Amino acid sequence: MRLHITPHRLLAVAAAVAFAGGQCALPANAAGFKSIKQIDAGVLNVGYVDEGPANGPVVILLHGWPYDINSYTEVVPMLTKAGYRVIVPHLRGYGSTRFLSANAVRNGEPAALADDVVALMDALKIDKAVLAGYDWGARTADIVAALWPQRVKGLVSVSGYLIGSQEAGKQALPPQAELQWWYQFYFSTERGRAGYDKYRHDFAKLIWKTASPQWRFDDATFDLSAASLENPDHVAITVHNYRWRLGLADGEAKYAALETRLASLPSITVPTITMEGDANGAPHPEPAAYAKRFTGKYKHETITGGIGHNLPQEAPRAFADAVIEVDHL
Amino acid sequence: MTELNRRRFLLTTAAGAAGLSLNPPVLAADASPVTPLATPPSASSVTPPVTSPLAPLVASAGEPPAAQSARPLPRLPIKQVEAGVLDVGYHEAGPENGRPIILLHGFPYDLHSYAEVAPRLAQQGYRVIVPHLRGHGTTRFLDAATPRSGQQAAIGQDVIDLMDALHIPEAVLAGYDWGGRAACVAAALKPSRCVGLVSVNSYLIQDISKAALPAPASVEAGFWYQFYFLTERGRAGLTANRKDIAHIMWKGNSPTWRFDEATFQRSAQAWDNPDYVEVVLHSYRHRLGQAAGFPEYEEIEALLATQPAIAAPAITIDGKDDGVIKATDGSASAARFSGPRQHRQLAGVGHNPPQEAPQAFADAVLELARNGKWRT
Repeated sequence: MRLHITPHRLLAVAAAVAFAGGQCALPANAAGFKSIKQIDAGVLNVGYVDEGPANGPVVILLHGWPYDINSYTEVVPMLTKAGYRVIVPHLRGYGSTRFLSANAVRNGEPAALADDVVALMDALKIDKAVLAGYDWGARTADIVAALWPQRVKGLVSVSGYLIGSQEAGKQALPPQAELQWWYQFYFSTERGRAGYDKYRHDFAKLIWKTASPQWRFDDATFDLSAASLENPDHVAITVHNYRWRLGLADGEAKYAALETRLASLPSITVPTITMEGDANGAPHPEPAAYAKRFTGKYKHETITGGIGHNLPQEAPRAFADAVIEVDHL
Repeated sequence: MTELNRRRFLLTTAAGAAGLSLNPPVLAADASPVTPLATPPSASSVTPPVTSPLAPLVASAGEPPAAQSARPLPRLPIKQVEAGVLDVGYHEAGPENGRPIILLHGFPYDLHSYAEVAPRLAQQGYRVIVPHLRGHGTTRFLDAATPRSGQQAAIGQDVIDLMDALHIPEAVLAGYDWGGRAACVAAALKPSRCVGLVSVNSYLIQDISKAALPAPASVEAGFWYQFYFLTERGRAGLTANRKDIAHIMWKGNSPTWRFDEATFQRSAQAWDNPDYVEVVLHSYRHRLGQAAGFPEYEEIEALLATQPAIAAPAITIDGKDDGVIKATDGSASAARFSGPRQHRQLAGVGHNPPQEAPQAFADAVLELARNGKWRT
C-alpha cells in the first residue's frame, strides 16, 4: 500500500530535514535546480536538467502549461536515488530553451513538441527512455510513445490519452467544459495575445489555482516557475498551440504527416501507467474513456488527497513511484 | 453580459484538449427537451392577462430549486407590433393613456426579468412596455434579407422604432445589460424622447476602439463566452447548448440570486428564436472589433464612437453582488451623464436587478417618472 504524503507535509518534512541536517539547503520546491545544461537539438537549443548516474536508465520528465521544469524538483531526487538518469527539458517557449534560428516558426503544434523530445534524445544519444508528463507534457509523451514506440521504454501520463486533432477541436463541448477552456478562445484573439503577454504572471497564477483548487503553493514556488514564462517565445508558442487546436492556425508542412497519423488516434503499445488526481480542476477525460487506447501493459492510478492538475509537484512520491513501477511493468 | 464564474467540475469521457469529446452535460436544465416556440402571434394578447398586478410571478428567494416537474410559471401576455425592421413581441401593462415606461432586458434573459416590476409600475398608473429584444421571444425580422445585426446601434434604434410604432413621443427608459445599453443608446441618440434613464452598470455605450485592450486575466475569464462566440465552435456551441450557456451565465452573473428552475425555464423559451444565435454572435463579434457593423447603422455607430453624454435625468444602479461587472461608486462614468444623475448600489443583488430586486428597481423608475419633465 502506498503511503500518501501531502505536499504540505512533505514540505514541512523537507524543511525540518534541512534545518536539522544543516547541509541540504532550502526545500527543493523553493530552490529549483542547481544546474541547467544547454544542448542543440533539432530546431532548438534546449535548456534541461540532467541528474543522476550518466549510465543509469533514462527517464525524461515533461512539464505542462503554464508551468516549467520545477514541477519536478521533488520527483528528480527520488528517481536519481533509485538509480535513474533524469532528463527534464524546458519545452519550446520556456526557460532557457531557445530557437536556433530567429526565423523559425514559433510553432506550438503537438507534433512539433513531440519531435523536440525525439531530437533531444538523439542529441543526447539516448536510444530509449521512460517518458513521463502531465498537461502539454503528457500529450507530448503520448505522441512520442504512439509514433516512436521503439524509443519509449515506458510511459507515465497524467490524464491519460491526450492525443487530439484539429478536426476534433472544432466540435463544441458542453458549456461547462467550454467555460473551463475559456483561455483557448481568448487566445484566438489579438486581445488574448496582448492580455497573456501583459498579465502573464497573474494569468498563470489564475490557471494554477483553477487547475489545482486544493493545492496550497506558496509565492516562492510559483515565482520560480513563472520566471520560465518570460522566455521570448513563450506567448507565441502558447497562442499558436491553442489556435492550432481550434483549427485557427496552420501547422508546419514538415509535421503534417505526423498530425495525420495522430488524427487517427493511434493506440499506445508501450507499458503505461496513467494517473489522475482526485481534485483536478482542469478539463480532463474520465479514465474509463481512454483505457482502451493503451494496448500494452497498462494500469491506472487515481491519487487521492486533494491532488490537482500538476500531479508531479503536488504528489511527487506517487508520481516517482509510478515512473519506477512502469519501468518494471 | 458576462460572468466571473469558475466552478470546477469533472469532465466525462475521452481524450484531452483538442480531442475531447464529452458526455452530455449535467445541469438539470439540460435534460429537458427544447420546447418548440409557437407560431408568432399576429396581433394582440396571446396569453390570458395576469389577474392581480402583484401576483407572485417569481418564486421567493431561498426556495430550493424546483425539479423538472415544477409547474411552469405563468407567462406575461404578449402583443405584437411592426416597428422598424422588426415585428416586436412586447408585454404591455397599465392604462393606455398612462405616461409610458419602456423596460429593456439583457442577455441571456428575456422580458420576464420585469415580471414583478411591470405590475408595480402599472399599478401606479403608468403605461408599461416591455419588448423582447431582436433575436428574442416572439420578436421577428420582417424581412429575411435584413442583416441579423446585434450591434449597439441596432438595439438602440429598435427602441426608437418601437416608440414610433406605438406613438410614444417620450418615455422613461430602463434596462440592464443589453437592455441598459439599448436604453443608453436611445437616450443619447434622441435626448428629447427620454424623460429619464435607469441604467444598471451606468454608461453602457461601448467604446469599440478600445476593444483590443486586454483586462486582467480574472476579468477576461469572466468574459469567456464573448471569446467563445468569436469562434465557429462557439457558434456551434451556442446553437446546440443555448440553455446551458445561459444557466451558467445566470449563476455567474448573479452568484447570490437563488432563482428556481421554473423561473429559468420561463425565460429560456425566448432563446429558441430563429435569429437568436446570429444576433448574439454579431453583438459580441462587433463589440470586440471582430465583425463589421452594417452600413445602415454606420452613422449611429460613428456618433456612439464619440461616447456621447446622456442628458436625461438618470439613476444608475450597481448590484453589489454583480458577478460580471464589479459594483462601482459611479464616479468613473460621471462625465458621461450631463444631466442630474444618482448612483445606487443594491446589496445582495447581482447582474439582473429588476428580477432580483424588483421593488428597488421599480422605485428608481417611479422616481424618474414622477419627477420627469414630461412635455406630453
